[in-house]
Amino acid sequence: MATPMPSGVPRQPPPQTDNPNFQQKQESLPDDLQKWNPNKPSPFPGSAPTLPPLVRPPPSSSTSAPSQPNSRPGAPPPLVVPGPNVPPNVGSVRPFGPPNGPPSPFRSPSGPPSPFGPPSGPPSPFGTRPPPGSLPSSMGGGPVISPRGSGAPGPGGRPGAFGSSSRNGPPVGVPPPMMVTGRSPGPAPSMGPFVGSPQASPKPGPPTQSAPPFSAPLAAPFGTQTWAPGQVAPPTAAPNAAVQPPRMFGMPPPQPNQPLPAIDQTGASLEDARKINSNQIPRPTTSYSKIQYDTRQGNQANIPPPASCDYIVKDTGNCSPRYMRCTIHQVPCTADLLTNCGMELALMVQPLAPLHPSEEPIPVVDFGEGGPIRCSRCKGYINPFMRFTDHGRQFICNFCGCVGSTPHEYQCNLGPDGRRRDADERPELCRGTVEFVATKDYMMRDPMPAVYFFLIDVSMNAIRTGATAAACAAISQVIADLPEGPRTMLGIATFDSTVHFYNLKRVLHQPLMLIVPDVHDVYIPLETDVVVQLSECRKHIEQLLESIPTMFQDNSTAESAFVAAIKAAFLAIKSSGGKLLVFQSVLPSVGMIALSARDAEGRGNISAGEKEPHKPLQPADKALKTMAIEFAECQVCVDVFTTTQTYVDIASISVIPGTTGGQVYYYYPFSSISDPVKLYNDLRWNITRPQGFEAVMRVRCSQGIDVKEYHGNFCKRIPTDVDLPGIDSDKAIVVTLKHDDKLQDGSECAFQCALLYTTVYGQRRIRVSTLSLPCTRNITNLFRATDLDAQFVCSLKQVANEIPFTPLLQIREQVTNICINKLLAYRKFCTTATTSGQFILPEALKLLPLYTLALTKSTGLQTDVKIDDRSFWINYVSHISTPSAVCLVLPQMIAVHNLDFDKQEENGSAIPPVLPLSSEFVSEEGIYLLENGVNGLIYIGSLVDSNIVRQLFGFSTVEETPTQFALQQYDNPLSKKLNDVVNEIRHQRCSYLRWTLCRKGDASGALFFSYLIEDATPKDGPSYSEFLAHLHRSIQAKMS
Amino acid sequence: MAEFMELEGQDGVRMAWNVIPGTKQEASNCVVPVSAVYTPIKPFPNMPVLPYAPLRCRNCRSVLNPFSIVDFAAKIWICPFCFQRNHFPPHYASISDENLPAELFPQYTTIEYQSPGEASSIPPVFMFVVDTSIIEEEMAFLKSALSQAIGLLPDNSLVGLITFGTLVHVHELGFNTIPKTYVFKGSKDVSKEQLLEQMNFFLIKPKPPTGVIAGARDGLSSESIARFLLPASDCEFALNSILEELQKDPWPTPVDQRASRCTGTALSIAASLLGACVPGSGARILAFIGGPSTEGPGAIVSKNLSEPIRSHKDLDKDSAPHYHKAVKFYEALAKQLVHQGHVLDLFACALDQVGVAELKVAVERTGGLVVLAESFGHSVFKDSLRRVFRPEDKDLGLSSNGIFEINCSKDIKVQGILGPCASLEKKGPLCSDTIVGQGSTSAWKMCGLDQATSLCLIFEIVKKEIPDATLQSSNNQFYFQFLTYYQHRTGEMRLRVTSLSRRWVAGPGSIQDLIAGFDQEAAAVVMARLVSFKMEIEAEFDPIRWLDKALIHMCSRFGDYQKDSPSSFSLSPRFSIFPQFMFHLRRSQFVQVFNNSPDETAYFRMILNRENVANSVVMIQPSLISYSFQSAPEPALLDVAAIAADRILLLDSYFTIVIFHGSTIAQWRKAGYHNQPEHQAFAQLLQAPRDDADAIIKERFPVPRLVICDQHGSQARFLLAKLNPSSTYNSDSHHPGGDIIFTDDVSFEVFLDHLQRLAVQ
Repeated sequence: MATPMPSGVPRQPPPQTDNPNFQQKQESLPDDLQKWNPNKPSPFPGSAPTLPPLVRPPPSSSTSAPSQPNSRPGAPPPLVVPGPNVPPNVGSVRPFGPPNGPPSPFRSPSGPPSPFGPPSGPPSPFGTRPPPGSLPSSMGGGPVISPRGSGAPGPGGRPGAFGSSSRNGPPVGVPPPMMVTGRSPGPAPSMGPFVGSPQASPKPGPPTQSAPPFSAPLAAPFGTQTWAPGQVAPPTAAPNAAVQPPRMFGMPPPQPNQPLPAIDQTGASLEDARKINSNQIPRPTTSYSKIQYDTRQGNQANIPPPASCDYIVKDTGNCSPRYMRCTIHQVPCTADLLTNCGMELALMVQPLAPLHPSEEPIPVVDFGEGGPIRCSRCKGYINPFMRFTDHGRQFICNFCGCVGSTPHEYQCNLGPDGRRRDADERPELCRGTVEFVATKDYMMRDPMPAVYFFLIDVSMNAIRTGATAAACAAISQVIADLPEGPRTMLGIATFDSTVHFYNLKRVLHQPLMLIVPDVHDVYIPLETDVVVQLSECRKHIEQLLESIPTMFQDNSTAESAFVAAIKAAFLAIKSSGGKLLVFQSVLPSVGMIALSARDAEGRGNISAGEKEPHKPLQPADKALKTMAIEFAECQVCVDVFTTTQTYVDIASISVIPGTTGGQVYYYYPFSSISDPVKLYNDLRWNITRPQGFEAVMRVRCSQGIDVKEYHGNFCKRIPTDVDLPGIDSDKAIVVTLKHDDKLQDGSECAFQCALLYTTVYGQRRIRVSTLSLPCTRNITNLFRATDLDAQFVCSLKQVANEIPFTPLLQIREQVTNICINKLLAYRKFCTTATTSGQFILPEALKLLPLYTLALTKSTGLQTDVKIDDRSFWINYVSHISTPSAVCLVLPQMIAVHNLDFDKQEENGSAIPPVLPLSSEFVSEEGIYLLENGVNGLIYIGSLVDSNIVRQLFGFSTVEETPTQFALQQYDNPLSKKLNDVVNEIRHQRCSYLRWTLCRKGDASGALFFSYLIEDATPKDGPSYSEFLAHLHRSIQAKMS
Repeated sequence: MAEFMELEGQDGVRMAWNVIPGTKQEASNCVVPVSAVYTPIKPFPNMPVLPYAPLRCRNCRSVLNPFSIVDFAAKIWICPFCFQRNHFPPHYASISDENLPAELFPQYTTIEYQSPGEASSIPPVFMFVVDTSIIEEEMAFLKSALSQAIGLLPDNSLVGLITFGTLVHVHELGFNTIPKTYVFKGSKDVSKEQLLEQMNFFLIKPKPPTGVIAGARDGLSSESIARFLLPASDCEFALNSILEELQKDPWPTPVDQRASRCTGTALSIAASLLGACVPGSGARILAFIGGPSTEGPGAIVSKNLSEPIRSHKDLDKDSAPHYHKAVKFYEALAKQLVHQGHVLDLFACALDQVGVAELKVAVERTGGLVVLAESFGHSVFKDSLRRVFRPEDKDLGLSSNGIFEINCSKDIKVQGILGPCASLEKKGPLCSDTIVGQGSTSAWKMCGLDQATSLCLIFEIVKKEIPDATLQSSNNQFYFQFLTYYQHRTGEMRLRVTSLSRRWVAGPGSIQDLIAGFDQEAAAVVMARLVSFKMEIEAEFDPIRWLDKALIHMCSRFGDYQKDSPSSFSLSPRFSIFPQFMFHLRRSQFVQVFNNSPDETAYFRMILNRENVANSVVMIQPSLISYSFQSAPEPALLDVAAIAADRILLLDSYFTIVIFHGSTIAQWRKAGYHNQPEHQAFAQLLQAPRDDADAIIKERFPVPRLVICDQHGSQARFLLAKLNPSSTYNSDSHHPGGDIIFTDDVSFEVFLDHLQRLAVQ
C-alpha cells in the first residue's frame, strides 16, 4: 500500500492493511468500479442510467469529472461520489422516516462491519430524537472519501448525486456519501454492503427527498465499514424515526449525518488528493423547489433547513429559524458532552429577519394595560411552552420553573391534552414568534420619532471623485422612502475639516449654512432647526441636496474631521436619538480623534515578519469606543458609507457603527460610474428595510443553560441585555451559551429572545421568539442535529473577532483545528475504531471542510489583503446574518454566457445552477458571474464570442471592457436574462452588489480567481482535495 | 479766561497752569499738577498742511518749529528741546529771514505734514458685532438701525459681520450660494491661530512656517480675506438679507436664568479676525450689545438670575466674582487691539448693565466710541449710530492709527496721559517715575481718535531749585512739542505738530504770575480726570477728602486772607469759580457713584476722559439757562433758586439735556395755549429751549438724552439732582413758585463757609 501511495501518508499504511483498498492501485480501480456499477444500477432503478457516467469518472477522475458536472443540473453531482452509501441512508430514511425499511438495509450491510454500529450508540438517540429519519442517515456515516474509493463509491454517489436530478424520481434523498480521495481502490467488499443498502433504500425512499445528492455524506470506499455502523444505528433508530416526520426540507445538506467518505489513509497523500475527482467532493447543492418547513411537528422540534436555501416556514410553536437558529438542534445535557463533540452551543439571533413572502406575518398581540403575561421570577414572556396547570389558574415557566398565577382575565380551561382550550386562538400560546404591544412600563420616554441625520463628506477628494454628488443624489431620492408623517425628522450636515450644519427651517428663504470650525471640541450651532420635520421642509432639503455638490465644487480642503463631524451630528440628534447616516470619503485626519495612515506600516505581506502586522486592524484610539457608547446611550445608530479611493482606517471607524447597531458600507475604490447606483440602493434598503429604534434585547434560557456572551453590533452596558440603538432585518447577533447545570435527558430546553423596540412609526413593541429544543445525552444525536450553517457562522464571527489580535497564520490554523476537532470528535465518538484509514464526515457536517477552506481563503484570512478590506470584512461579518455569511465565504458562481430560458423555468428560479468554485469549471469561452452578497464579479473569458459580449455589455470586445461599469439592459434576450438573474440575486441577497468586470490577465482577473476557493493558491492554501487530504491526515494523526 | 480759549483756538491745548511753577517744590505746592488738555486733531481752518516730510532734530527727533533758533546764514537751526544744532538739508537752501517755511511762521505753532505717497491702500474697515440674545422688540430696533447704518457706509469701506448670543456666528459674506456662517462656541476663547486654522485661511496659501501672519501681505491670501471682509458696495445685499433673517438667539433660556451671551468671545474673535486680515489699518469693531455677558471668558455675571449684576458696593467690597477675570480678559483684548491698531466701539443698549465697566479698558485704550442707552430704539443710540456714518450732521472726524509723541524741555517729565490712548512703553528720559494713567512712555497709541478726542497730559517739574537769576531771566521758557501721526479719514497719513512754549516762574514773587496763568476750567477738568482715575485704581481712596484737601490747600496758598479770619478770605477772579467747580465735582456722577451702576460710572468717565475742557466743564457743572417772558434767555445759577413757576429752564449736563417747565408754564402748555394764535409768544417761549437743546444735541457725540419735564413731575429729578440744594426741606423758607430739594447734602454756601474757615487756618 505504502508504495503505491505516493508521497502521501506514510503512516497510514498500517491501518490500511485492513482495507482492501490498499492493495488496489489506481489501475485496479476501474475494475472495481465496473463491478460496482452493476450493483448500483440495480439498487437504484431510476438512477441507473445516470450511474454509469458516474462510475466512469471516478476512475479517471480528472477527465470525466468536468463533463459530468456540466451535464448535471448543478453542483450536486460533483460532490457525491459514493453512491451506494448514500442512497441508503438518506434517501430512504428521511423520506420514509417511518419506514424502517431503509435502516434495515443499511444494517445488513453495516452489520457485517458490525464494530461500528454499536459504539455509535445511535440507536437510542434516534429513538429519542424526533427526526429519526435523519438519524439513520447520520449514522450511516456516510460514505467516505477514500482515495480509490472514490471510484468505487462513485457509482453509489452518482446515483445520489443524480439524485438531485433524481430527487424527482428516486428516493435519492440523500445519502450519498462522499468520496474524496482518488487513489485507493474502493474496497470491493465495502462496496458490497453499500450496494446492498442502496438497494434497500430505493425502495423505501420515495421521491420524497428532493434533497440533492450533496446532502449525502460522502462515502468512501472504505466507508463500508463506517457505513456499517451508521447503518446499524439506523435500525435502532428506525422505530423512532417513524415517529418523526422528517424534515420537509429534505434538503440534503442539513440532513442527517452522514459518514463521509473518507480519504483513505493511504490515499491521504497529497498526490492522492490531487487525484481526487473533484466531482466527488462534497459541495453544496442548489435546490430549486421551495421547502415547506414546520417548526414543530408532533410536538417535537423539527430540524430546520439550511439557512441558505429557499424555504417557507410555518410557525407551529417554535420560532422560525430565520429569527433564531441554534448551532445544534438538540441540547447536550451536560457541558462535558458539549465539550466532547467539539462544537459550540450558540444561537444565531436575527430578531427582525425578513419573512418569505409566503409566510404568515407575525401576529401582534395587545394585552392592554397590563402588558404581556410574564413569569414573575425570570420575567420570561408567555410562550407556547409555558404549561398551564390547576385548571389554567397557574402556569409553570419553561425557563425557570417558577409557578405563577394566571391573571384572572387570562384564565382559560384546559383541554384533555393539558393545553388551554384557547391555545390555538392565541398566537402567544401557539406561535414561536409574536409581537406584543408594549405598555408604558416598557418606555423610559415616549417612543422616539424617526430621526434621520445625513452627514456628507465634502472634502476635496469626495467632491472630485463624485462621491459627494452620489451621496446627495442618493439621499435626495431616498427621502421619498422615509416614513411619512409628522414624526419623521431629518437633518443634513456636511463636513471637511470643519462641520457644516444647515438651518432648514422653513421661514428662511434658503437654508443657512452654519459652520462649526472647532473640530477638537465640537458643538451644535443651533438647538433646533438643524433637525426639522421632513414634511415641512422638504423643499429646503431638496434644494440643499441639489446645491451641495456645486457649493463645494471648488473646495480645496483635503482634510477630514470625520470623527468631530459625527460627534457634532450626534449632538444634534442627541435629545431624540435616531439614525445617523454618514458618507465618508477620506481618512479622518484632523480634529478630535484624528487618525493616521496606519496602512503604510501594515500594508503588504502580513506574514512578512513585521512585529504586529495585525495592529492596524485594531481601532487606533480607545476614545472611539467611549464615544460610541455615548452615542448608543442616546439611541443614536450610525451607519457609515465609505466611498473612498484610499485608506480610511475602517478598523477605527467601524467601532462606532459596530457599537451603535449600525454598519459600514464600503465602496472601494469608489467609481462615479458604477457606485452611485449601488449607493442609492444600499441607502434605500438601509432606510426601508424592516427596522427598529432604541431597542433592547435579551435572551433567556431554561435552567441549566445560560447566556455566555453576545456578539454583534450593539452596545452592552449591563451583562444581561444588549442595547441596540438601531436594529434591522439584516443584523444578526450570536448568542453563545454555556451550561451551568445538567439538563434532563428527554426534557426540552427553551430559548427566548425578547426584543423591545420602537418601530419607525413610533410604536413600542416587544418581539418575542421562543425556541424549545430537546435535550440529549447522545453525542451522535448532536452530530445529527448539528446545523452546519449556524455552526459555521458562529465560528466565523468568533474568528473575525480574533483577527485583529492574532497573527494570521495562527488563526488559519485555529480555523482548521476547529474543523478537525469536530470531525475528530465525530470520528472518535460516533464512528468507531475500525477504519482509521477512512475519512468520515458526518452528514450534517459534510460541507464543513469546504466551508473551512473557504474561510481560510476569505478576505479576512487571506494574506495579501488591504488593511481596510480586511477591516471591512471583519466588521461586515460581525453583524451578518447566517444566510449572508455562508454566501459571503462561499460565493455563488453561475455561467451566464449560455443562459437558457427553458432550464430556468424548469427550475422555477431565474438563477441557473451554481458551479463549483473551481477554475476547472471556468472556461475561457464563457462568461461567469460570481457573487458573495457584497461583490459581484463578472468574468469574461478571453475567447468569448464577441457577439455575446456585445449583447450583454455593449462592448464589442473583451479588451474594451472597463472594470467599473454599470450593468445595463440591452434589447436582446440574453441581456434581459442576465438582468433578470442579477435582479433575482439582488433580491435574494437584499443587496445591490458591487459589480466588477473581470478579464484574464489583469488584476480584475486575479481577483476573480481569488474567489475560486477550491483551487490551490500559493499563498493562501491548498486546493479543496488537498485540504481534505490534510484533514484526513490530521485526524488520523490525532486518532493514533 | 478768554485768552485761554484763544490759545486753545490756536493749538487745541488748555493748560491748568499757563505760567508754570518752576521747581519741583513749587509745583507740588500748586496742588493742581502742571498739565495740559490737548485735542490732537482739533480742526483748524487756517492750519496749513505741508506736503513734505518734517525736518527733525538729529538728536531728539523733535520737529522744526517756530521756537527753534535759526541761523539763516549758516543754514543751521537749534532744537529748543535739546539745543542740538542741526543743518538744514539742501532743499531748505533758500531759507532766509524773508523766505521762511511755514513751519517756522510764529503763528503756525500747530501745523500738519502730509508726506506724499503715504496714503494707506486699505480702506476703512467696519466689523459689526451684533448681540442677538435680546428680546424680539429690541432685535427689531437693532435691525432697523443696522440696516440704516449699512446704507450709510462708504462704498469702498470693508465690512464684516459677526453675530453672537450663546455662540458666535462669523458670517462669510463672500459666499454667494447660500448664507454661510462659522459658528464658535461662546464659552471658549479662540486664539488667532486657531481661528485662522479653523476658518480655512491656509487653504489657498499654506501657513507660513514662521513669522507673524499679518494680512494679505504676510501669510494670507486676499481671497481668504475677501470671504469675510467685503467692500460695502458688494455685500450690501448680503448684509441686508442676513439682517432680515437674523433671529433672536434660538437657544432656550430657562425662566430663572439670564440669556446666554458670549460678548467676550465674540469680541475676541472679531479682534483676531481683523488682526489676521487687516492689521495696522484703520478698522473698527462696532459692538452692539444688549445685555450682560454671561458666557465665556468675558462674562460679568453668571446666568443665574438669583445672582445680581455687580454694583459699586460689590466692587468696593471686592465681592464681584467675575469682575477681575473679565477685566483681565478685556485688558488682554485691549492689548491685542492696540497692537493691531484697531478700535472697539461700544454701543450698549439695555435697561440693565451690560458690562461697560469691564469693557471700558478695551474701549478706552483703543480710543473707541461708547454709547450707552436704555434701548436700541432710543434716540441716544439711533442718532449716535447714524452720526458715526453720516458726516453731514456733524463730522466726528474719525481717524485711526494714531501715534502720539511728546517732546519737552528737559526739566519736565511726563507722568502719563489720562485719556483714550495706550502707552507704547517707549521709555525715555522724559518719563517720570510717577505714573498717572498711561505712563512710563513718551509715545502713545491712539487706535481711534476723532476731532474731539482730548488727552490730559500730566507733567512733573523736576528742576530742583532755581539756578541763578540771570539764567532764569534769559531762559525762562519751557517748550513742549506734541506730535500726532495719524491716518486721516481720507486714508492719508498725516503728522500734526503742536509746539508750545510756556514761561516758568519760581521764587517768592512768582505767586501772582501763577495766579495770572491759572486756567480754572482746565484745572477743574484735570482734577476731575485725576479723581476719577484715582477712584478706579486706588483702593480705599476717599475722593471727597482728597478733593477737599486739595481745594483747601489751593485756597490757603492762592487765597487772599488774614490768618484765622474766615471773613477776610477772598480769591482772585482767576480762582473764583474753582471752588464752585470742586463743589459740583464732589456732587457729580464722577465722584458720587451711589445712584449709578458701575456701567454708568464707567461710561461717564470714559466720556469725560475723551472730551475737551469746555464739554467736560459742562459735565462737572451743568449749565442752566432760564427762559421767561420777562427777559431774553439768560444763564441762571445752578441752584434750586433758579426754579420758578413762570420760567422754563434748560439744563445741559452733557449726558442729559433737561427742559424744565415751571408749574405755571406747564399748566399753560397743558391747556394748549401755545396752539392758539393769540398766544404765539408763549409758543415761541416754549420753542426757544427746544431749539437751543437741538443745537446742543447736534453738536454732541454721543447724542445726549433729552428730557422734557414739568415742575413737580417725576422726570424733574434730572434737573433737581444737579442743582445746588440751597433750599431743602430743612430750609426755613423758600420763595413761592420755587422748589425745594429733598436732600441732606450741604449747599454751596455751607461748603464755602467751611472752605473759608479751613483755608485760613
